[in-house]
Amino acid sequence: MSQTSIPQPIPTTFEIHRRRLRFLGLSLDDVIRAFFGGNALVAVIVLALITFFLFREGSSFFGQNRENLQVYRSAGLEYVDIVRKVETDHSSLSRTLSSLRQRALIHYTTAEQISLEQANQKLAPFDDYAMRFGDAIEPMRSLLSDLTDTATAIKTKYAVSQDKREERHQLEAEGKATEAAAVKIDTVDFAAELKPILGTLPIYKQTSREFAQQLQGLLDESPTLPKELQDRLQTFRSQARTFIGNLPKVERDLEAWDWTPAIPAWRAFTSFIFGREWLTASFWQDRYGVVPLLVGSLMVSVVALTLAVPFGVGAAIYVNQLASPTEQKLIKPCIEFISAFPSVVLGFFGIIFLGDHLRSLSQVSWLSWVPGFPIAERLNVLTAGCLLALLAVPTIFTLAEDALNNVPRALREASFALGATRLQTIIKITVPAALSGIISAVLLGFGRVIGETMIVLLCAGNRIAIPDFSEGFAAFTQPVHTMTGIIAQEMGEVVRGSIHYRALFVVGMLLFFLSLAINYFAQKIVRRYRISIG
Amino acid sequence: MKKLIFFAAALLAATSVQAQKLVIKGSDTLGAKLVPQLAEEYKARNPGVSFEIAAEGSTTGIAAITDGTAQIGMSSRRAKPTEMSAAQAKGVTLKPTIVAFDAIAVVVNSGNPLSTLTKRQIEQIFAGDIIDWSAVGGSPGKISIYTRNTSSGTYSDFKELAMKKRDYASSSQKMAGHEAIAAEVGRNPNGIGYVGLAYMDSPGIKVVPIDGATPSKESVLAKKYPYARPTFYYTNGEATGEAAKFLDFTLGEEGQKIAGKVGFVPIR
Repeated sequence: MSQTSIPQPIPTTFEIHRRRLRFLGLSLDDVIRAFFGGNALVAVIVLALITFFLFREGSSFFGQNRENLQVYRSAGLEYVDIVRKVETDHSSLSRTLSSLRQRALIHYTTAEQISLEQANQKLAPFDDYAMRFGDAIEPMRSLLSDLTDTATAIKTKYAVSQDKREERHQLEAEGKATEAAAVKIDTVDFAAELKPILGTLPIYKQTSREFAQQLQGLLDESPTLPKELQDRLQTFRSQARTFIGNLPKVERDLEAWDWTPAIPAWRAFTSFIFGREWLTASFWQDRYGVVPLLVGSLMVSVVALTLAVPFGVGAAIYVNQLASPTEQKLIKPCIEFISAFPSVVLGFFGIIFLGDHLRSLSQVSWLSWVPGFPIAERLNVLTAGCLLALLAVPTIFTLAEDALNNVPRALREASFALGATRLQTIIKITVPAALSGIISAVLLGFGRVIGETMIVLLCAGNRIAIPDFSEGFAAFTQPVHTMTGIIAQEMGEVVRGSIHYRALFVVGMLLFFLSLAINYFAQKIVRRYRISIG
Repeated sequence: MKKLIFFAAALLAATSVQAQKLVIKGSDTLGAKLVPQLAEEYKARNPGVSFEIAAEGSTTGIAAITDGTAQIGMSSRRAKPTEMSAAQAKGVTLKPTIVAFDAIAVVVNSGNPLSTLTKRQIEQIFAGDIIDWSAVGGSPGKISIYTRNTSSGTYSDFKELAMKKRDYASSSQKMAGHEAIAAEVGRNPNGIGYVGLAYMDSPGIKVVPIDGATPSKESVLAKKYPYARPTFYYTNGEATGEAAKFLDFTLGEEGQKIAGKVGFVPIR
């Protein structure tokens, strides 16, 4: 019927004339890919380098600390400190006496209404008693001071020989073998050096017995004090009796003391983690115990979170569930803007304004029921914690709000459909559903707070001591030092490579592990307890 | 090309020969602020002089003179007998020259009724034996102690001068600088602290006389004030050349003015 035409193949016009641009054998796509991949790689490498650096600088601390503790023992400082304990215990008893005197003075002048002069006159016999009690330690004290000098001399001798050893090492490293060999190193013979110290034991025993007798005699007297204070006087007496009862034990300890046992390696670690004293640049003995710093950091964080969690989470619930769109547009940027303040500005605000005003507020009489009020120091845990709360609020708010946003709509709608009110839905449905997210928001806020440096350095008061928890919450109005603060304060002036320098790095390592743990748990909680959508 | 490099090297060598280099080593008390400032001022007047200042402690200063590795050794103490003998063995005579006095003032809040404290009381307060103002004749209140931070030179200087090398009470608060101590003591009625003489006039604080002596130029020079000590330049015999000129400059009117400005007590 018709002829079948065979379709002619159309000449292809798709010939690619332009050759793709290649640079070093890479196309543009490859280059872009390599760029992004490289960025990620750089981040990983930098992180690895920082971690490596931190560990490299910090790790030799434990060896140095072990040597530090070993010298403490070998040079007899440990022995002398057993004697020193007697002296410090006695001074604290003397302090009890002087606080008794103060109470008596207040009693005479207020309850009995006699003039200051007469009261002082009335207390003259007591003063005499207190003075005799205080002076009883004198022979012991002079013995202690001799012992201290001897032990310090041994320690210095050892330090000098270590320095010489270092010098030889340095010269050898420079390749100056003859000069290195010429460096004279005196080895310290601890056994011989310790003889003068250990030789004082009979003298100590004699002194200690006379001391005990003298105190016993003093305890048999009864100084005149107002009736109301007799109970306290009795407490003092029983304390003093225990003290005297302990003296023979001290003698036994001194007899049993031996300089030879080596300090086990784990002590270098435990003395850092559980050490209750951070004492540097001491003429006697440096101690690197992280507990006061850790406690300080944690206390500041507790205050900050106690304030920031209700504000942050509350604001998030309001903005996400209750606020009108106009309110949302206003509130969200406002809260997020707080984090735009540099922390040093907040720190100055704390020094200049908040510290003073908190203290004058604490002096208002009707607030005296609050534990710790009136505040003695204007820079303390509370001041720093209040400011840190400001930093934590935006973090907690943003993340908690995200968590609330992620709650499936269906849950809320089902709740409304069953006739629940809006408040019931929020409390019983939305918040529990978002709880894992909220908890991880709080944890991340905690991470933000514990790593903050400038505010705690300026406002926490920098007292390296564990606060006195015997007064309960009053401890939160005392100054503390923190882990971040001590690194910032001491790193600048410390000798590179010294044990102090290494100790600061180990504090940094501890902080690193803390942050790591906090972030890990935040992630884990979100993953584990997230309500599956759908 | 080779010629050019040779020429540059020759030029470099020529200038380095021409430039006088003064090596000063020793105490960080002097080396932290005073000597670098003196050096800057001196350089401005005498172009071509360069300085190498290393502040690593008095011991290194005296050792540097003994070993001949520095022209001037800074020291915040006199040379010890062993150091003198070591120098003599090498044929070096250690000659001290007092540069300025370093003094530390003890300050309390201006509302504090105390009028004086003894050396023993200061030691007891800072070491934590005395914890209440009533024990030293003040109005009752817990003492708040403010000190410098642990790595500061003044921190250990004060321990040495005032506390028989004992450690500070653990209740002491470590402040970043002298002005921070002055500010805290000025705001805390129960505060006590120490500052360099340059900060004595800060608002809200008053200086406590120690055993009746107030820190001032006169009392320090008359050796009445206990918390002061001379600081020294050590040289090998009489200083010569550039070192002698720098020494004269330090002791001259200009140098002493700078010393006063950075918180030292001038010698005249």
